[in-house]
Amino acid sequence: MKRLLDIIRQSLPARLSLLIVLFAAAIFIASLGFMFRQSQKSVHNEAIYRAEQVLDNTVQRVTNLLDRVQVATDNTDWLPVRHLDAPDSMFVYSRRILVNNPDLNGCSISFEPYYFPERGKYFSAFSINEDGVIQTTQEGNAGYEYFTFDWYQLAKLLDRPCWTEPYFDFNPNAIYSKEMIASYCKPLKDENGKYVGTISVDMSLGWLSETISAVKPYPHSYSMMIGRGGTYFVHPDSTKLFYETIYTETLEKDDPDRVALGKAMQAGEEGMKRMMMDNEDCYVLYKPLGETGWSVAIVCPVSDILSGYKRLRISVILVVILGLMLMWFLISRVIRRELEPLGRLTSQARTIASGEFDKVLPDNGRVDEVGELTRSFSGMQHSLVSYVEELKKTTAQKASIESELKVASDIQMAMVPRIFPAFPKRNDIDLYASMTPAKEVGGDLYDYFEQQNHIYLCVGDVSGKGIPASLFMAVTRNLFRIIAQQGHSPVEVAEQINTFLSQDNDQAMFVTMFIGRIDMATGRFDFCNCGHNPPMVDGKFLPLKYTNRPLGLWDGVPFQGETIDDIRGRQLLLYTDGLNEAENDRQEILGNDRLMKLMEGAGKLSAREVIKRLQEAVERHRNGASPNDDLTLLCFRLLQL
Amino acid sequence: MNKSVSLLLPLLLLAVLPAGAQERFVFTPQWTPQAQFAGYYVAYERGFYREVGLDVEIIHPSPTQPALDRMYSNQSQATTLQLCQALEMMDTGVPLVNILQTSMNNALVIVSRTDQDPLQQKGMRVGTWSVGFDQMAVCLSLKEGLDYQWVPFSSGLNLFLSGAIDATVAMSYNEYYQLLQAGVAISDRNVYRFCDHGYNVQEDGVYMTRAYFEKHKDQARRFAEASRRGWEWAVEHPDETLDIVMDYVRKNHIATNRVMQKLMLEEILRLQINRETGEREFRLRPDMVRLATSLMLENQLLLRDITMDELLGR
Repeated sequence: MKRLLDIIRQSLPARLSLLIVLFAAAIFIASLGFMFRQSQKSVHNEAIYRAEQVLDNTVQRVTNLLDRVQVATDNTDWLPVRHLDAPDSMFVYSRRILVNNPDLNGCSISFEPYYFPERGKYFSAFSINEDGVIQTTQEGNAGYEYFTFDWYQLAKLLDRPCWTEPYFDFNPNAIYSKEMIASYCKPLKDENGKYVGTISVDMSLGWLSETISAVKPYPHSYSMMIGRGGTYFVHPDSTKLFYETIYTETLEKDDPDRVALGKAMQAGEEGMKRMMMDNEDCYVLYKPLGETGWSVAIVCPVSDILSGYKRLRISVILVVILGLMLMWFLISRVIRRELEPLGRLTSQARTIASGEFDKVLPDNGRVDEVGELTRSFSGMQHSLVSYVEELKKTTAQKASIESELKVASDIQMAMVPRIFPAFPKRNDIDLYASMTPAKEVGGDLYDYFEQQNHIYLCVGDVSGKGIPASLFMAVTRNLFRIIAQQGHSPVEVAEQINTFLSQDNDQAMFVTMFIGRIDMATGRFDFCNCGHNPPMVDGKFLPLKYTNRPLGLWDGVPFQGETIDDIRGRQLLLYTDGLNEAENDRQEILGNDRLMKLMEGAGKLSAREVIKRLQEAVERHRNGASPNDDLTLLCFRLLQL
Repeated sequence: MNKSVSLLLPLLLLAVLPAGAQERFVFTPQWTPQAQFAGYYVAYERGFYREVGLDVEIIHPSPTQPALDRMYSNQSQATTLQLCQALEMMDTGVPLVNILQTSMNNALVIVSRTDQDPLQQKGMRVGTWSVGFDQMAVCLSLKEGLDYQWVPFSSGLNLFLSGAIDATVAMSYNEYYQLLQAGVAISDRNVYRFCDHGYNVQEDGVYMTRAYFEKHKDQARRFAEASRRGWEWAVEHPDETLDIVMDYVRKNHIATNRVMQKLMLEEILRLQINRETGEREFRLRPDMVRLATSLMLENQLLLRDITMDELLGR
């Protein structure tokens, strides 16, 4: 199973063909289900209709026979009534009815006890047709008190013509009828309307029984007839005939369906029921037999009705299953063949992926999507080869540039003093500085040196980044050193640097810069801020009267300097905007407020510790984000010894 | 004498006894074969009669030879009768003796076609057997002033089912179940049970003519004893008894079935229990004999009193 699932998961043709077959199967099942349902309904309806027709025809045929008995009786019964004064004529009439209707079994014209006093208690003129020989006799006697029999009493008590239940007639002193018969009885009345006796015409039910038994619309269907009391008079199981009623089994075992059927049949209803008969699901169609009180039913097992349909259904299902299997086989073959170039392509791609870019893809000559894919893949392979070549070159170039940049970075870093303590011979100066470019080389700068008992220092930030900024930075740093070493004030240094930088500055680059000079003897601090961030003194931003312009933009502009009379003992922090504008990954800057907080309590720290604290704070703030700007810090304090 | 010989000896003696040593005895139940007579069939089939030295032959009545006729003509030595029937016979001057009483209760009911109390339907047509058994019903009709019109029928329930009559008498072990089998709805309302309304008079018993009894008292006692044993065996073995009954039914082509006979056997056996003692007593109850005679005398079905002693041939 797992192997099969693996094949399905790994093979596109297997998966595609399976999906197609599954969809086809779903559509087939839905369509067949609908078709089966509809056809079952129509087969069922057709079968019921057919059984109904058969039942109707049978009942009609039997009723016709019963009607003839009734007509024969109706045509005769006026005679005895007219000749009540001639008892012997009754024998003639009883005989005549059989002569005129040879298919009738017997006829009795019977009278109330002592109706003809001279004839005694019993007078029943009875004729019987025995194989074509008609015998006539007076059949009443002490052993056969006919007036207690149903055929006599029913007409008398009901006061209307009626049929008896089927019975075996029995007269010990006369004739014994071995056949099942039923009698049509009519009351006889004298001219005053007073009941005098009964005329009863007997019919053998052999033909009726055979006719009904022969009704068999389906191989296992059968028919039955019950009487008023539910007794079986026709039934395929001869042990039930006369001995059992439709209710007998229900006395031992509840069967509401059978009871309902019996009630409906006894009530002379016509209809159909679906129910279990002898543990088989059956349709039972029933119809009364005229006015007899008897009812005929046809029992058709559902399996019988639907057997042809079920055979067809199984055949169709088998054909569909075989069709689907064949379909799967063919579709998987076709898909496999159609996708074979893809397989080759996959194999080639695997080869190419392993590095053999020069492998030539064969042209499968296809013009469809697969051909297009092959061609596109081939084009992609060529592009890839070119690209790889190009990439090799670029990589080599980049490596060269990176190497050069490393050298440039080293050179740039070498341009700023990096040896601390800065003035090993002077223990009254605490100075520390650092510069961290955002890229290999940066545009920030710082510098300091001692000149005639003065300390010059500066921090600057060139516009832009990278190599142009670093070159500009190198120029600026050299200018600072050259000019400042001549003993100029910070303002003069600024003015001269500006003049130099402004010349031939086609790139319009500039640098912001803070230039300061401290008189070591007096602690006087002269400074000139050229568009740079204000320095912090003792952890607070130094309020500046003059911000001035950045250097390098406009030649000849005047610069204004400022002075702090004595900076001894005070902590001076110079920095570039890489500090207060350091961004994290959400582009939030560190900000001046946070900077002020960072500097709280920093007065007690050394210059190196202050720088370290600030670097760590920036690192924390960035939280893993790449540096967005160069970061340069310089902390200075002239200690009072 | 060793053990095996002592066991074999009675068997050998039986085998060598001449056939004539068994006294011939013809018994005729009152009706065609059915579970009503199960005890006698059992006694015959299980050899109980033979064991008491009787060569019994059970011959059922035919339309040409009713049970009583057979007894009067000495063709049968005994027959079953209901107590009231026996009283009627004795009243007409035919001396009879009850040699075994099986029924301890009355089985007669009246079933009405409509869902109405039969006692509320004065003047209705009530079907009854043309051969009798309806003495208590007649007493009821006269006593309660119901003025029923009796319609005697020869057999079956067709008059009732077709609506020709309004009600019918029935035996609780026979026609009652036939009505159920014909789909007739029977409730507490439309059934009147005589046994529950002061008419609980015993029914079936075995009778012989007094003349025969006087000469064959021992034979009568043995027949009664073996018959009683047959009934007791039937109580213990209802399924086997039913098999025996059905054999008789089939041989005689009786229009009935096993379900009906099973119900009949159960009811017949139930009717054999004295409701007051819960016992199968197999005896005539003097109080019931008195009740029967007084009711029948009162309604002029009897012209003279018949005593228990007379019934028992004392």
